[in-house]
Amino acid sequence: MQRERWSSRYYFIFAAIGSAIGLGNLWRFPYLTYKYGGGAFLIPWIVGLIVLGVPWLMLEFGMGRYFQRSAPGVFEGIGKKWEWLGWWAVFCAFLIDTYYTVIMAWSLHYVGSSASVAWGAGEAGAAGAAPFFFDQVLHLSSGPTVLGAPIGALVGFLALTWVVIFFIIFKGARVIGKVAVWTVTIPWALLIILLIRGLTLPGATEGLNYYLTPNFAALGNAEVWFGAFSQIAFTLSLGMAGMYAYGSFVAKKADVTNNAFITSFSNCATSFFAGFAVFSTVGFIMHTLSIPVGEVSASSVGLAFVTFPVAISMMPAAAGFIGVIFFLCLFFLGIDSAFFLAYGGVVRPLMDKFGWSRTKTTAGVCGIGFLIGIIFTAPGGLYWGPDMLDRAVCFYGLLLTGALSCIVVGWVFGAKKLREHINKTSDIKVGAWFDWLIKIVVPAGLLFVVIYGGFIHDIPEAYGGYQMGILNGSHIVWIILIVSLGLSFLLQSRKTKVPVITSEESEVSKK
Amino acid sequence: MNTGAIIATVIMWLIFIGALSWCFSRMGKGGGEWEG
Repeated sequence: MQRERWSSRYYFIFAAIGSAIGLGNLWRFPYLTYKYGGGAFLIPWIVGLIVLGVPWLMLEFGMGRYFQRSAPGVFEGIGKKWEWLGWWAVFCAFLIDTYYTVIMAWSLHYVGSSASVAWGAGEAGAAGAAPFFFDQVLHLSSGPTVLGAPIGALVGFLALTWVVIFFIIFKGARVIGKVAVWTVTIPWALLIILLIRGLTLPGATEGLNYYLTPNFAALGNAEVWFGAFSQIAFTLSLGMAGMYAYGSFVAKKADVTNNAFITSFSNCATSFFAGFAVFSTVGFIMHTLSIPVGEVSASSVGLAFVTFPVAISMMPAAAGFIGVIFFLCLFFLGIDSAFFLAYGGVVRPLMDKFGWSRTKTTAGVCGIGFLIGIIFTAPGGLYWGPDMLDRAVCFYGLLLTGALSCIVVGWVFGAKKLREHINKTSDIKVGAWFDWLIKIVVPAGLLFVVIYGGFIHDIPEAYGGYQMGILNGSHIVWIILIVSLGLSFLLQSRKTKVPVITSEESEVSKK
Repeated sequence: MNTGAIIATVIMWLIFIGALSWCFSRMGKGGGEWEG
């Protein structure tokens, strides 16, 4: 049976860029740049992109194209005993999507709230932005042991998010590619509007100085390199199974390497650009409220749902309009990552394994994803979804599956074999350096991040300081990882309905 | 913006624009075919 295909090369590139660009481009990269040496941080970041991100992306595109399968099929093709590795990445993708969509539901909530600046205008509104988010939107509880009942409005926006995802992906790659053109260009356009507004605010320049003034002394600090490598590891949506599937929709004789370069550089250019919008706004808040940069929350949920609303409250004109633009931008930044995780990460692997129909599989995945996500709309859901679950699957899961994937592909399948396969038809030929990056540098870089940023903190201390009876936050993280790993072995033991063939074998059979 | 921040900005945009221009100029030169 003919594998589904992208309608054109540009649709594939847009889909891949869209999956890579996400909330982290806006709320993680600019903050890390400011925190880890400003302009100097860009050096390890670019180094990380070249030695870690690009080869890893080539690996996922190339292996997907080689086996014409999503992640589990790729590893089954290498050897049946490795199939679990693909399924582990699938579980990570699915679990990430369950809380990622909740953050998008918050964004949709704020699109409506921003129009009227519901948390208030002026200095009173600025003071009310944090209570509005935590008390009125999330109804945040005192800790993970107090989960509470789901918040109706958030459940409604979550349902809407999953409905949108369903209608984008249920017809497969051809429609996904066409939609991605819009879901990539719209946030770019919205970011330009936000940047123009930011740059015309008082204090913007001061904020940009904090963002980019180089501090080269920081380069001697291992934590700066950790920050750069971790950002590259997380920003390209790798280790989440989906890029194998996206690569498998690429024609058997099409380019791999150039598409990987274009995707990587476009994603990082977007991050760099977003930093100007973020830090011009941070500078405006510092200037208006006369507070130091350290008192402005410039990353993650705090940046999006507290800092930006504060800035919106203080804006001299068009506050509601900018608020709507910002939260729409957040939604569009997230939606293509969300449908990438759902389709490439989960639906397509299940279709490949069990031969299920696309529509039914999509409906099932979206339905179950929605039901699990309801938990995270409850007052204690923030602690469980975007915090502990995120730590388990989006930090440990992503990095461990990524490192192991590179080791298995590099040493068992053969990095040289992969390189020769992708070089046959790619616009940019990669040299033997690729083999050593895949075999040693990428897994070593990922393991450095997981050890330095994870194990050395979470083994001696409870993650997040959470304590739930005899279990603490770290125990929950380990339990999620172990259970998802066990389920991966269970799926490996099931028979694959659609046999795996390589693109070379299919060429031979055609002749 | 101070000089350091301006230099960082210019260098980064040169890198991004240069790299992407080079990638797009290579498109279709590898002998690959999109269809099939």
